[in-house]
Amino acid sequence: MISLPPRWMLFVGGIAALALAIPPVVIARVRATPDPEHAVHIFFDMDFQPKFKTQEPNPLFADGRSQRLPVAGSIARGEGNPDLHRTTGVVNGAWATTLPAGLTMNDAFMERGQQRFNIYCTACHGYAGFGDGTVNQRAMALMSSADGPAHGTAWVQAKSLHDPAVREHTLGAVFSIASNGIRTMAGYEAQVSIEDRWAIAVYVKALQLSQNATLQDVPPEVRDALKSSPVEKNPTATSAAVKAPTATPSKDGVK
Amino acid sequence: MSRFLFPRWANLLLPTVILAGATIPLYAFFFVAYGLSPKTLEVGFQPEQPVPYSHALHAGELGIDCRYCHTNVDKAAYATVPPTQTCLNCHTNIRPTSPKLVKVQESAATGLPIQWQRVHKLPDFAYFDHSAHVNRGVGCVSCHGRVDKMEVVYQTKPLSMGWCLECHREPEINLRPVSEITNLAWDSATESSFEERQALIAKYHINPNDNCSTCHR
Repeated sequence: MISLPPRWMLFVGGIAALALAIPPVVIARVRATPDPEHAVHIFFDMDFQPKFKTQEPNPLFADGRSQRLPVAGSIARGEGNPDLHRTTGVVNGAWATTLPAGLTMNDAFMERGQQRFNIYCTACHGYAGFGDGTVNQRAMALMSSADGPAHGTAWVQAKSLHDPAVREHTLGAVFSIASNGIRTMAGYEAQVSIEDRWAIAVYVKALQLSQNATLQDVPPEVRDALKSSPVEKNPTATSAAVKAPTATPSKDGVK
Repeated sequence: MSRFLFPRWANLLLPTVILAGATIPLYAFFFVAYGLSPKTLEVGFQPEQPVPYSHALHAGELGIDCRYCHTNVDKAAYATVPPTQTCLNCHTNIRPTSPKLVKVQESAATGLPIQWQRVHKLPDFAYFDHSAHVNRGVGCVSCHGRVDKMEVVYQTKPLSMGWCLECHREPEINLRPVSEITNLAWDSATESSFEERQALIAKYHINPNDNCSTCHR
């Protein structure tokens, strides 16, 4: 017969054993739930060094920025490019119809334009350029909501790039619009590099040509294949699935 | 004078001490390995942001590409938190007077930056380069999780050194074609074969060092 210790001792022992279960439960809960407080930082090592990395705040300056804005009127090395064709899209007082010196039209350039267009332009203009991007759709829905446009929304339907007036813009004009914006569209100078804006302009011209191309624009060797393949009869059915044009048929239209 | 005699139950002390001696180190090991792991301490960090911006709406429902705002992610080490002007590209016309956008409008009027809170933090002695990864087939989702499903962004991966090395030693597990780099729904495991991913190593000239100086300099 085993004799047991006094009851109070068993009781305390039992509580202690149960208490051991608390930390694992707390840990499991911490693991399972997102938390606004940064969890305890146990080993500091040199994790937080008194230096500034990109976009970190600096309390020494009134605006809190560690990265200082350039002094008004200053030009960074390499930015003072006097090539107006390249920086403004204007040649001799008229919109350029060719690429500026230093940029060459090839497949890689066109694909770059397509990729950048899909990042920066499709939100409003849609993948095929019909002005049916997701942001445009949502904004148009806000405009036509039963209670009137929410929170001062004043959205204008994004332009279709296949609109006859838009199709008339030359390459330089498209570059300028992408850079500086037009009407309610913002300029993308800050977000997209100058080379990429030219690439986008080239792609926009190709996209426009793709909706108005004739068989003569297609290289002879693939014409037969086009004749035999079923043709999409609904040009307004635009989606990401619309096959973007390649560089080949656009060369006449762009350069 | 009566002598002190140990009660009979004191015989249980020895087995109790042995049992405790065996379990307490195990318990301590578990506590350190499970409780102090970055998966506990770092994963799930979800700071409150000054503006209730929803990635689930913008990146998920509207499908805006990550690079629309994080413009430098494929050009520089740092992915760039967008300037206020990027918000205003659309919000000049969409819901400009929304109470959720008050801080954005304030920032635009004063020129002072919005104080976004950093979610994914690396120690200051680790030098991670976004462009090196993004241009060679390591997708956003590999480190940031399904941001397109998050109302408020939180950390989903431990971002510990051991975790970095897992991929540096076996990159073929996570690689994807660069065309799918910002496609958070694209899953390497189901949408590409092991051989296809191995082929990407040669195609993108991937040589992920595990030397100290690769990340610490």
